[in-house]
Amino acid sequence: MTAYLIRRTLALVPVLAVVVTVVFLLIHLIPGDPVSVMLGPDATPAQIEATRQALGLDRPIHEQLLKFYARVLRGDLGQSYFLDRPVTTALLERVEPTLVLTVSALLVAVLIGVPSGIVAAARPGSPWDRLLMLSSLLGVCVPGFWLSLNFIYLFAVRLGWLPAAGYASLWVDPMAALRYMVLPAVSLGFNQSALIARISRSCMLEALQQDYVRTARAKGLSEGTVTWIHAFRNALVPVVTVIGITTAILIGGAVVTEIVFNIPGLGRLIISAVLRRDYPVIQGVILVTATTYVLINLVVDVLYVFIDPRIRYA
Amino acid sequence: MPRLIALVAAVLLLAANAYAADTPRKGGIIRVGNLGEPPALDAHWTTASITETLTNHIYEGLYSLDGANRPIPMLAEGHTVSKDGLTYTFKLRQGIKFHNGKEMTSDDVVASLARWGKQSIYGKALFAQVAEWKALDKYTVEMKLKEKSAIVLISLAVPNNFGAIYPKEIAEKFAPEIKATEWVGTGPFKLAEWKPDQYIRMVRFDDYKSRNEKPNGYGGGKTAYVDEIRWQPVPEVATRVAQVETGELDFADDLNLDAYDRLAKNPNARPLVSKPYYWLVAVLNKKEGLMTNQKLRQAWQAAIDIEPIMKNVAGGHREFYRMDASLAMVEITAWHTKLSGLPWNEHNKAKAKRLLQEAGYKNEPIRFMTTQEYKWMYDFALLSKQQLEDAGFNIDLQVVDWATLVKRRNNSKEYDAFTTGIGAFYDPTHPVFLTPSWPGWTTDEDILKLQAELARETDPKKRMALWEQQTRQFYEKVPVIRYGDLFGLRAIRNTTKGFNEKTERIRFYNVWLEK
Amino acid sequence: MPEAPRRSRLRNLTANRNVVAGLAILGVVVFAAAAAELVSTHNPRRLDPPNRLRAPSLEHYLGTDEFGRDVWSLVVHGSRVSLAVGLTTMLSTSLAGILIGLVAGYYRRLDLVLMRVMDGLMAFPAVLLAIALMAARGPGVWNVIFALSVVYTPRTAMLIRSTVLSIRETDYVQAAQALGRRDLAIAFRHILPNCVGPLLVQGSFIFAYAILAEAILGFLGVGVPPYVPSWGNVIASGKNVIREAFWVSLFPGLALTLSGLSLNLVGDGLRDTFDPRLGVR
Repeated sequence: MTAYLIRRTLALVPVLAVVVTVVFLLIHLIPGDPVSVMLGPDATPAQIEATRQALGLDRPIHEQLLKFYARVLRGDLGQSYFLDRPVTTALLERVEPTLVLTVSALLVAVLIGVPSGIVAAARPGSPWDRLLMLSSLLGVCVPGFWLSLNFIYLFAVRLGWLPAAGYASLWVDPMAALRYMVLPAVSLGFNQSALIARISRSCMLEALQQDYVRTARAKGLSEGTVTWIHAFRNALVPVVTVIGITTAILIGGAVVTEIVFNIPGLGRLIISAVLRRDYPVIQGVILVTATTYVLINLVVDVLYVFIDPRIRYA
Repeated sequence: MPRLIALVAAVLLLAANAYAADTPRKGGIIRVGNLGEPPALDAHWTTASITETLTNHIYEGLYSLDGANRPIPMLAEGHTVSKDGLTYTFKLRQGIKFHNGKEMTSDDVVASLARWGKQSIYGKALFAQVAEWKALDKYTVEMKLKEKSAIVLISLAVPNNFGAIYPKEIAEKFAPEIKATEWVGTGPFKLAEWKPDQYIRMVRFDDYKSRNEKPNGYGGGKTAYVDEIRWQPVPEVATRVAQVETGELDFADDLNLDAYDRLAKNPNARPLVSKPYYWLVAVLNKKEGLMTNQKLRQAWQAAIDIEPIMKNVAGGHREFYRMDASLAMVEITAWHTKLSGLPWNEHNKAKAKRLLQEAGYKNEPIRFMTTQEYKWMYDFALLSKQQLEDAGFNIDLQVVDWATLVKRRNNSKEYDAFTTGIGAFYDPTHPVFLTPSWPGWTTDEDILKLQAELARETDPKKRMALWEQQTRQFYEKVPVIRYGDLFGLRAIRNTTKGFNEKTERIRFYNVWLEK
Repeated sequence: MPEAPRRSRLRNLTANRNVVAGLAILGVVVFAAAAAELVSTHNPRRLDPPNRLRAPSLEHYLGTDEFGRDVWSLVVHGSRVSLAVGLTTMLSTSLAGILIGLVAGYYRRLDLVLMRVMDGLMAFPAVLLAIALMAARGPGVWNVIFALSVVYTPRTAMLIRSTVLSIRETDYVQAAQALGRRDLAIAFRHILPNCVGPLLVQGSFIFAYAILAEAILGFLGVGVPPYVPSWGNVIASGKNVIREAFWVSLFPGLALTLSGLSLNLVGDGLRDTFDPRLGVR
């Protein structure tokens, strides 16, 4: 196990190196230019060229790439073109909102998804099963903005129970933070719960058919014990995978939710960076999310061993 | 009897409220929702309108615009012009403090405007005529011109990409093509904190020395009643509307026009129509490709039926568009023209077809770039496409994101036309679409000759005659296609008082909160 | 366990109410796509400004959008692009996902490499990766499908791998290995059927994601242009008027949901049939 962990951690390095290079090349493939955006609609081509030169954007791409490597090795992610601050600072400002949103949405998704999947699997074909599965299907087909906007109209504009949008830090004002987080967490969590529910149901169905579950039944254990102890644990491996994938996606930024509810997280940072071609920020965000993905997957793989002792890593 | 007393009390209370509403009070935080993050807070550096709005609270120029969009002194006390018209001498106001406590003097003014003259589009146009620019004493600066100029004061007064006065140290520290990242001005508010995607906080500058005149347009006396302006970027427009409805915002800018009816019904807030906003324009590439053919440009102008396009773009609301052929907008009273018989909005398909034939057009695709990032641009481009194709054009509508559009339009090989908006301009020499250096490249000699004359001629009457001549020429040569005027939608809570609804861009000095 | 004869499997399949219902819905949608010209009432691309945002009526069954286009006709014509993007992306991600997942789950040496490649792909924000791929290959429906397939494959691959990991230790796989069956045979006979459940679920989700993502690419100027009818495009444009004219985004959304539902029903039925231990209920 220890050897495995070391190997996996070392594997981080080539992954990140490749990701960083590919990102660099990809974003320069995308048409568009940060300077033309920055200087506004009335700027002239000559002015734009002068500022491009000042920023070094006119240099050959391989030269820019080498400079970028040199900076990254020094732990410097560069300066944002638009935000007038180092990329590292811009990233650190986003960590808390993104983490809070991810954790709370994940909580909602798992609390809705896993139990409804299990309940549905226990009585496949029942009206209860169909209802749960239909609503989870709606969860994915309803575009994120639709649910979010309607939540805002209902709970903020009509009823006035909760604020429409915004963010407060947990450390500064926990009560306000909680109130701001309810609507985004529920709408995002509901969206993400759909896949978790479906996968839980499907894997539970498989697991309930396994020999050891039959054995347990034959031994006369109660249906509840069979479902929860024997089958559930076995079904968990793919479920954990899906939860892992969901976490990874959320960490990378729940763009629509963050935009609609005006949460200053990584999703908004990356989307505005992409739209304005803020190259250093795009590179920085992807470097950080790539590292996070690899680490989450490491955690997920290790979890497999605990959930299902038959899985071994040599 | 008790009923009567209650009634009297109610009337008295109402009267008291009405009275209170007219009395400004200090304090509070005004929360303003806008579209997004500024690319910079350096007024010299970018023409972006969000930068214009924000920086005009922090900085001031020598001149400003009054309610009729004419130049009036701001940091200048006044000026004198020599007899030959070649030397302008500006007296500065004394005792003006920067936000860092330093007094503003002629050194700061000379350094700032020198930088502005190298980077800003208005500054460059002015400084092209300047022979010498120097300080005479601590509170006097002098501008010597190469030739007579009509644009000295107006150039110093424009609010966009404007000649903001920075401390000398900052103006000299940042080269013109590099944006300044230290923000110290003389304005009524100073920058306190900028947290991207959360807020920009501006707090009252206690040592601000206001002019004695009454507030007038963008200029005159300025009082910071609120303790703080909190600019909150809210990228989703539906959320911006909702946050005004719930009272989470005191003001919101740039809303979708379809929200007008709902805001009008809200008891706690009301919609504001912002005029002027933009006139919609299709800029044609006159350097290369199909649109170098004047007949083809005329055909486009003849083909379009502007009113249905404008009505659709305006969400069906008559309040949000205006049919007008003048190049300067109605609000710019000094330069608005009322010429008749211009070939504008002819929607004459037969004429368009004839012109197409004369142009020798063989159904080649015309590459028309637009973006959905500004919804009105996409809307009017799509509506134009159908009308033009009905008249015999073949339009290849290319929908890209804004960053791609503004990059591609610099390359004459990549397009035939693109959409944008023309905001208010305050002098006939200012519109970019009549210059050879801006995308689209208006290089027509007759147009440029008149523009040069307009810059030199100082007699207002003669200038107006030249400008009318230029307008006629515009509709003959068709450097760009002028559509109608579009207006914007803002929303204001009833508790926000003293807001000047007449200016093009929003300002929050002289505004107070009633809550 | 005894193999069910092929014929009875087929009969099971057609007797399964889920499958029948699913296929029926899918059939209707495919028919609408194929016969769009006949089924639609208006030219979906024709703008009609005076009639913008009309509520559903006899003239416009599902109302009109903000340019006066007929929503019913938009939905019908839009099913062409949307079904092509949704179904093809679903199929290609499933195939690629199975291949990568099986290999990674089964040959542990390759696992480390393959999964790090998947990590790398997952690390890109989906939209950015898709834009870059589109920018490199140019606009067009097939390039949209390619870009979305690359973006969504890692998710399927990871899921299949995890299922393989848990199944390959089960008694019957171990028994098959002991009997000296070839890896390929074991993978296809014993492991793959167990992956069908999660795979179908994931697949129907990717179907829906792909249709919505297509509109985002169109917005950014690298996909199918926004004025070409597609469900994603209509839903996205309806967002602007969601409070004034709910019908613009609601009906294409329903079409998307129904198609997703039909795929799920067929998927459930297929699994019930191919996994004899579950039987037909």
